[in-house]
Amino acid sequence: AAAGGGGAAAGRTYSFKVVLLGEGCVGKTSLVLRYCENKFNDKHITTLQASFLTKKLNIGGKRVNLAIWDTAGQERFHALGPIYYRDSNGAILVYDITDEDSFQKVKNWVKELRKMLGNEICLCIVGNKVDLEKERHVSIQEAESYAESVGAKHYHTSAKQNKGIEELFLDLCKRMIETAQVDERAKGNGSSQPGAARRGVQIIDDEPQAQSVGGGCC
Amino acid sequence: MSLKSERRGIHVDQSELLCKKGCGYYGNPAWQGFCSKCWREEYHKARQKQIQEDWELAERLQREEEEAFASSQSSQGAQSLTFSKFEEKKTNEKTRKVTTVKKFFSASSRVGAKKAEIQEAKAPSPSINRQTSIETDRVSKEFIEFLKTFHKTGQEIYKQTKLFLEAMHYKRDLSIEEQSECTQDFYQNVAERMQTRGKVPPERVEKIMDQIEKYIMTRLYKYVFCPETTDDEKKDLAIQKRIRALHWVTPQMLCVPVNEEIPEVSDMVVKAITDIIEMDSKRVPRDKLACITKCSKHIFNAIKITKNEPASADDFLPTLIYIVLKGNPPRLQSNIQYITRFCNPSRLMTGEDGYYFTNLCCAVAFIEKLDAQSLNLSQEDFDRYMSGQTSPRKQESENWSPDACLGVKQMYKNLDLLSQLNERQERIMNEAKKLEKDLIDWTDGIAKEVQDIVEKYPLEIRPPNQSVAAIDSENVENDKLPPPLQPQVYAG
Repeated sequence: AAAGGGGAAAGRTYSFKVVLLGEGCVGKTSLVLRYCENKFNDKHITTLQASFLTKKLNIGGKRVNLAIWDTAGQERFHALGPIYYRDSNGAILVYDITDEDSFQKVKNWVKELRKMLGNEICLCIVGNKVDLEKERHVSIQEAESYAESVGAKHYHTSAKQNKGIEELFLDLCKRMIETAQVDERAKGNGSSQPGAARRGVQIIDDEPQAQSVGGGCC
Repeated sequence: MSLKSERRGIHVDQSELLCKKGCGYYGNPAWQGFCSKCWREEYHKARQKQIQEDWELAERLQREEEEAFASSQSSQGAQSLTFSKFEEKKTNEKTRKVTTVKKFFSASSRVGAKKAEIQEAKAPSPSINRQTSIETDRVSKEFIEFLKTFHKTGQEIYKQTKLFLEAMHYKRDLSIEEQSECTQDFYQNVAERMQTRGKVPPERVEKIMDQIEKYIMTRLYKYVFCPETTDDEKKDLAIQKRIRALHWVTPQMLCVPVNEEIPEVSDMVVKAITDIIEMDSKRVPRDKLACITKCSKHIFNAIKITKNEPASADDFLPTLIYIVLKGNPPRLQSNIQYITRFCNPSRLMTGEDGYYFTNLCCAVAFIEKLDAQSLNLSQEDFDRYMSGQTSPRKQESENWSPDACLGVKQMYKNLDLLSQLNERQERIMNEAKKLEKDLIDWTDGIAKEVQDIVEKYPLEIRPPNQSVAAIDSENVENDKLPPPLQPQVYAG
């Protein structure tokens, strides 16, 4: 996360990497296309692809560059997860409220993410397709209490009706900024984090420098 | 390690603080130890001199390389790079390294050692071809030209870059991870210096960083790409073999959402394969990344044409895996390792290029671990395909090899079509003949029938029936009628 939170001084730009996890057909692509293009199942979608999208935000004067990384959700690619979410600041875990299995998948991912990245990553669990409330198979209480138990936030969205998506991303960005600031402060206090140490190192090779100056001068 | 920490320390000497020209004013490291006035005087001179020196060096280098090339050509003939030659290159490099270390310790002064070593590094080795040195020269020239537009900052950057390259020269015997670490440190420090000291705006920093990366990596490439201290080469061969063994994997097994029967789509697939293969020919990590990005764009186009909607990762990754399997790009692992170790990290972490690179890493990891389950096959089928006993393509009556070129495939298709046409033609001919026969039979039949009937009921021309005779004819029932009255004579 050190690289992602780069340049956190006031007025500087934050760059965040957010991974999008979820089984196929839960509406990951629709969700992100709705957010970045405000379109749903539309023939006029301008982007060639919906797997890597960026969005620039300004939150209370802080500029944020959001890079949203879609991941392949098929079961056969499950083992590749760690390659995708390495160095990410946030993860959006999407399930379909009409599909109990997709919620189980989310639980698996949460376990894995916490194991690999600890608490540095901001987790969002998203129940998509709330427009199909009548066919709901995942209970709201269960989902919300689960999210709370793992330190994640829960959101209800509908890409079709454009519900809850703007809030989801805004909220996530605010949380990532907070995390980055805490991180920055910790480094500022001279903690012995490897990232901080590396940042402080300056290659000033005094001896060769003296030589080259000598060579260049006379 | 001790060398490293020593170098990173900052030693300040009273004499270093004063202007080097001895005018009595304080100097400044930013002005190479001169005071502002002397610096301005020296700056122009030094810069001209440095540029000229660079030129001379480049020219000498080129001459030497050309000579070396000519001599190696004459001694070894124009044979291609065979394996034995490859081995030879390796031993050459090893012996050179040994002498380097020896010289490093035996030379009396450090300057002397350095000079000797630089000389030696410049000394032509048969493995470095002429093309390489020309490219190096061109890149150096471009870099100097580029930095000219930044005046003082450019000068400073050039100096730092040179120092870094010299430092890397000594570190050539360190492990590749340590060399990578040094390079990453350098990127970070230069970028930070530019922003804090040079007050260069971030967009320009990015541009300058790209140029720096190009310059240093063009020079370091031959030492740090697939170095013999690592098992990169072994991994390259392993993945190459693996991909070859998986030649039977069909797009259907991977659920690739691309229909290659559409000509535009198959065109995109070919372009994507070309791009991913081209990656190996580039020397700068950023250029290699650009190849991956270009390949990905072609894949997206292929998906867009087939599905008519923007591609998600669910579509993209299987297609990329398919492209890698079809293309079997050379030195895949070496290229991935090289990019990971020596690319400017800001590009690799969050940018679009980084995303596609990550996907390529995923594709390679998937191919390495791929098993029956991940292709939705039974273990027996998978084993049979792997051992080459059967091929899934045979069952689809496509018995030409999967990597045959498109033209050959098209030809087979056409042949197939022709034979089908031939069959139909024959069928039509047969039908026509049958029809002809039927027609003839029919006419014969009719004629026969008519004859039969004619025979059965022969035409008799009977005399006209009496009953039909006119009533008023003279002999109507003349026999039944009383005889005509005979005239009788009556006396009377």
